[in-house]
Amino acid sequence: MAPEAYANHPSAPLAIDTVYTHIQYTIAVPSMTAIDSPQKKPLSTEHQGCHYRSKRAGSGSGSGSGSGSTFTSQLLQKDEGGNYCISRDSRHKRSASGAKRAQYRKKRKFELGRQAANTKLGAKRIHEVRTRGGNRKFRAMRLDAGNFSWGSEAISRKTRIVAVVYNASNNELVRTGTLVKNAIVQIDATPFRQWYEAHYATPIGARKAKGAVKVESEEINKARSNHVQRKVEARKADAKVDPALDHQFAAGRLYACLSSRPGQSGRADGYILEGQELAFYIRKLKK
Amino acid sequence: MSEQIEKAFQKQQGIFQNAKVAGKKSIKNNRWYKEVGLGFKTPKEAIEGHYIDKKCPFTGDVSIRGRILTGEIMSTKMKRTIIIRREYLHFISKYNRYEKRHKNLAAHMSPAFIGVQQGDSVTVGQCRPLSKTVRFNVLKVQKKVVKGAKNFAKF
Repeated sequence: MAPEAYANHPSAPLAIDTVYTHIQYTIAVPSMTAIDSPQKKPLSTEHQGCHYRSKRAGSGSGSGSGSGSTFTSQLLQKDEGGNYCISRDSRHKRSASGAKRAQYRKKRKFELGRQAANTKLGAKRIHEVRTRGGNRKFRAMRLDAGNFSWGSEAISRKTRIVAVVYNASNNELVRTGTLVKNAIVQIDATPFRQWYEAHYATPIGARKAKGAVKVESEEINKARSNHVQRKVEARKADAKVDPALDHQFAAGRLYACLSSRPGQSGRADGYILEGQELAFYIRKLKK
Repeated sequence: MSEQIEKAFQKQQGIFQNAKVAGKKSIKNNRWYKEVGLGFKTPKEAIEGHYIDKKCPFTGDVSIRGRILTGEIMSTKMKRTIIIRREYLHFISKYNRYEKRHKNLAAHMSPAFIGVQQGDSVTVGQCRPLSKTVRFNVLKVQKKVVKGAKNFAKF
């Protein structure tokens, strides 16, 4: 995980400007210190009238379940009249004919909206939110790992997210490294490489370092019983991996797409890009 | 494919495209489609085509339930949606007579329907809200019959 692991690394075949400074985050800064850091976010102009009620909450890190401590209500802003600031109603919009609709009632609690999570890369910090009906949502403020699945091999592994690389909606989100659903990220390839080499007993992502001794990893050469060895040999027929993926394994980084909503579930899970989708996004990144 | 015009990769949600190549299936179109029910035939273009439309009733994630209405197409200028005009007669009891009234309706039109023009008559079915004004989805198109089919129609 430390940057040293990549010191001898030949330049990645894919030329992308990824922000590697995020690696430093893995040096554990316990998220409990976050309590003392200002949890108040700078108010955007649209909330100028709203009172910012910030209850000091224990950040619900860990598996996200409330330890009985107070949830944070800082994400639910109310102004002086006790009205909710972000509302999801359509009464404030003009009708289909263009007519301006008069306001005839106050904002209702069931129409409320909350501030966006804007989940960033960093040591895990998740806030729990009490929602309608007493249910909970886990607002991930910072995440660094997620459960990613390799579809064609039908396995999933928990991996570190390295960088946000592309976002179809907004380039700003790439620049700031915001994790949202359908963001294209780079993930650490080692858990998948380890699985592959244990499963198929063949190396993957062979690097073309000149004169480097090919050290077969321990995973490939580990002692296996006769029965298991036969199974492994039989699997080798299906062991072929797409060259585009192979390149990425050589670099130690895979492209993946987030398929969960970090601001709702508190998790950044996704799937590794393959096939046409991968080709599509690589083309986008090259531009 | 030519349907990848957007910034994000367009695909049908839920079908997995990257299964390891076993040989045959990779050439065939791995497409999901459904029958909307109520006797409406799903168009051939929906089954064999390559378009991706999550709001299409045949290849997307909307269900048709509720009202089924018909109307005449007034405009097709929007992207994948049309305006329909529905005419009706309103009775004025004082005078014992009728007056003409009409209402416009915005409906989503799937790319499965090609060559649809203004003036065609269309059957739409109610679905969940797809946008601010669109709650209907086109299910069937009946082209306008031009009397004297040998007339010159602007191509």
